Amino acid sequence: MGIRRRTFLGASAAALAAPGIARAASVLKFIPQADITILDPVWTTAYVTRNHGFLVFDTLYGTDATFNASPQMVEGHVVDNGGRQWTMKLRDGLKWHDGAKVLARDCVASIRRWGARDAFGATVLQFADEIAAVDDRTIRFRLKQPFPLLPTALGKAASNSCPMMPERLAMTDPFKQVTEMVGSGPFRWNARERVVGSLAVYEKFHGYVPRPGGVASGTAGPKIVHYDRVEWHVIPDAATKTAAMQSGETDWWENPPADNALVLKADRGLVTRVLDPTGLMGCMRLNQLVAPFDNPAVRRVVLDAVRQEDYMVAVAGTDPSMWHVPTGIFAPGTPMASDVGLKRFTEAKDFAKLKTALEKAGYKGEKIVLLLPTDLPELKAEAEVSADMFRRMGFEVDAQASDWGTVVQRRASMKPVAAGGWSVFSTFWTGLDQLSPAGHVFLRGQGKAGGQPGWPSSPAIEALRNQWLAAKDVTTQKELAVKLQQQAFIDVPYIPLGQFFQNTSYKKSVTGVLDGIPVFWNVRPA
Amino acid sequence: MLTYILRRIAATIPVMGLVALFVFSLLYIAPGDPAAIIAGDQATVQQIAHIRASLGLDRPFLVRFGDWLWHVLHGDLGTSIFTNLPVLRMIEQRAPTTLSLMTITLVMSIAIAVPMGVLAAWKAGTWIDRVIMVMAVFGFSVPVFVIGYLLAYAFALRLPWFPVQGYVSLSHGFWPWLRSLILPSLTLGGIYIALIARITRATMLEVLSQDYVRTARAKGVGQREILYVHALKNAAVPIVTIIGIGFAALIGGAVVTESVFALPGIGRLTVDAILQRDYPVIQGVVLVFSFIYVLVNLVVDILYTVFDPRIRY
Repeated sequence: MGIRRRTFLGASAAALAAPGIARAASVLKFIPQADITILDPVWTTAYVTRNHGFLVFDTLYGTDATFNASPQMVEGHVVDNGGRQWTMKLRDGLKWHDGAKVLARDCVASIRRWGARDAFGATVLQFADEIAAVDDRTIRFRLKQPFPLLPTALGKAASNSCPMMPERLAMTDPFKQVTEMVGSGPFRWNARERVVGSLAVYEKFHGYVPRPGGVASGTAGPKIVHYDRVEWHVIPDAATKTAAMQSGETDWWENPPADNALVLKADRGLVTRVLDPTGLMGCMRLNQLVAPFDNPAVRRVVLDAVRQEDYMVAVAGTDPSMWHVPTGIFAPGTPMASDVGLKRFTEAKDFAKLKTALEKAGYKGEKIVLLLPTDLPELKAEAEVSADMFRRMGFEVDAQASDWGTVVQRRASMKPVAAGGWSVFSTFWTGLDQLSPAGHVFLRGQGKAGGQPGWPSSPAIEALRNQWLAAKDVTTQKELAVKLQQQAFIDVPYIPLGQFFQNTSYKKSVTGVLDGIPVFWNVRPA
Repeated sequence: MLTYILRRIAATIPVMGLVALFVFSLLYIAPGDPAAIIAGDQATVQQIAHIRASLGLDRPFLVRFGDWLWHVLHGDLGTSIFTNLPVLRMIEQRAPTTLSLMTITLVMSIAIAVPMGVLAAWKAGTWIDRVIMVMAVFGFSVPVFVIGYLLAYAFALRLPWFPVQGYVSLSHGFWPWLRSLILPSLTLGGIYIALIARITRATMLEVLSQDYVRTARAKGVGQREILYVHALKNAAVPIVTIIGIGFAALIGGAVVTESVFALPGIGRLTVDAILQRDYPVIQGVVLVFSFIYVLVNLVVDILYTVFDPRIRY
């Protein structure tokens, strides 16, 4: 059977064109830490929502792996009037996902919305006399006093980050969730394919203009997207997630627990490593409104009783590479961290002596209610170690087990323990949340006015924090950070319990995964 | 009969009303605050109160209940506090997965368990009977999640025949859909198969000792015909009853199975909503489940008349 010349040419042309036409969309299948139930990164501090926010929304500044802020949506800034005026110019060509141009007034409204919810954002608003859109691309801050931390605040990678939204969304009540996901970030939210509790889909935003030059690092630098589509597959069970990674059904698991990470590390097709070197910081909060922790001397005895290694072994296992002790009030290895006063956290404890010290401090045998969340393994482990420690110290402990949802409601109660109040709970924050006094929520001393459960009161800490915010150079900041740590060990607004790390696991065929929070630019198929 | 069915359907209305009141009251007195969960660790007490007010959670019980009931009567189950999506849409999105899982489990369980029970009764006291009953005890005793893990390890990881997790919609083809549900259905069906097999055996043993079976044997009727035509039909009423009751167990088991195999079904929706205190979703799901359960019981009652003509309503 012969072949006609025209048929042959046509078939050849089709074959040549085929790779371009039929190229399958590249898909990255990711298992997030939890389902993305809340989409608005200003409305909640949930880390999963923060991660989602960085896909959809861009920020004026980014934070690199060394915790320095650098321009992201802005070309740069000019500082005038002795540090009291900042003028920022937006990069050319920035677009929202609906095709409209990103304007300075959108950004001003976004900053105001963020400032109404975030502690660092509130500080920005407190320092600002005026935040104005001078023209379509220029934002001007007129400040009451110099505030060198402005780019750091606007570019913070911790929750709540400062996402830029169109003005019509940013002008809405910050206490009501924005569910229309129109950002200017490197990915578009695919609302149509979303299945709550199962699947979230992001598509490459072809109108995104990555920052020219530089190197991608943290949330800073050029955000170049190599996957057409990122799918977040929500899998509730850790064993199933492990099996999904082993079978190759998924490409990347954000945070395998220690036990599962051991299995994944043995898999040659996977890379399993620590993604965020700032880790997670365990914290114990004592309720200063009710006895016995209204007594600073009692709090200081508890501070001396904490052996951080006990907590970290319970939380993260016996592999010391997965945790770090001793830790102070700032994430170890970051600029503000210091070793002042940390020896107490590694010393062996003599509970007979601690019991005596407790009596001398004025403990009168009051019952303490310890909130013990059962549904979050790390927090449960922290609480169980605390319960044991308190009992050995001679406290009368009532460890009340419930789910985390009940704990967060209960801890807001200012009532005495007999009337449904509480005495102590533990939690953890990312190291990013504890880089500096600016966004460090537990390092406040505003008492009842601060509204933070535990209600620690310390005018000295507040004064030092204000000095730190106004400091002109890093050397002064570091000196003040040391003083803050010393003061924190006197007033004890909270007790640091150690730093632990979480693994991440991804296929060897996935490259370019950046350190820090999970981001999806720079990641590419091998 | 038609009057009976209409009467039963009418009777579901006060039942559903009571369920609604019970669930709403239970959630009202249960500890937990969605506003505090939404606000997160950084939030101040004032911010939490602001969110609570914006969600209308600070309104009195009767106002909230009345508002919710009014909307339910208009076919609106409300909006999720967290996702801001209509509850009905969330249930609609999840229902095909759970219905598929339950249907396959039900069909598979009946197909396996009834012949097993009949065989065990026929061969009562022999090694076949004992093996079947040991299997039934195993099905009862081993927790659903253990069966799930074992099946996933064997038939998804070691032998990559089925996916480890996830659900493929029927719109993507029959085989991919079925493939995604075989392991979950086997997992969920374990206890159900055991239950039906045991009841079938017990009922069949009783029926097989009846005079009419002896008469049939004396007349020379074949064993298969005796078992499946005469005896099984008369044993059907208790079996159908247990299938109906077991439906509740199936709903409970679906919660675990959907979690183990990451199936986006109503069971997981319920658990997630409870953990987050997403009240409208919990209320909506419980209402829907209650309605289905009432409906299943109605179907069971009607089936009685099919298997036993002596029963009349």
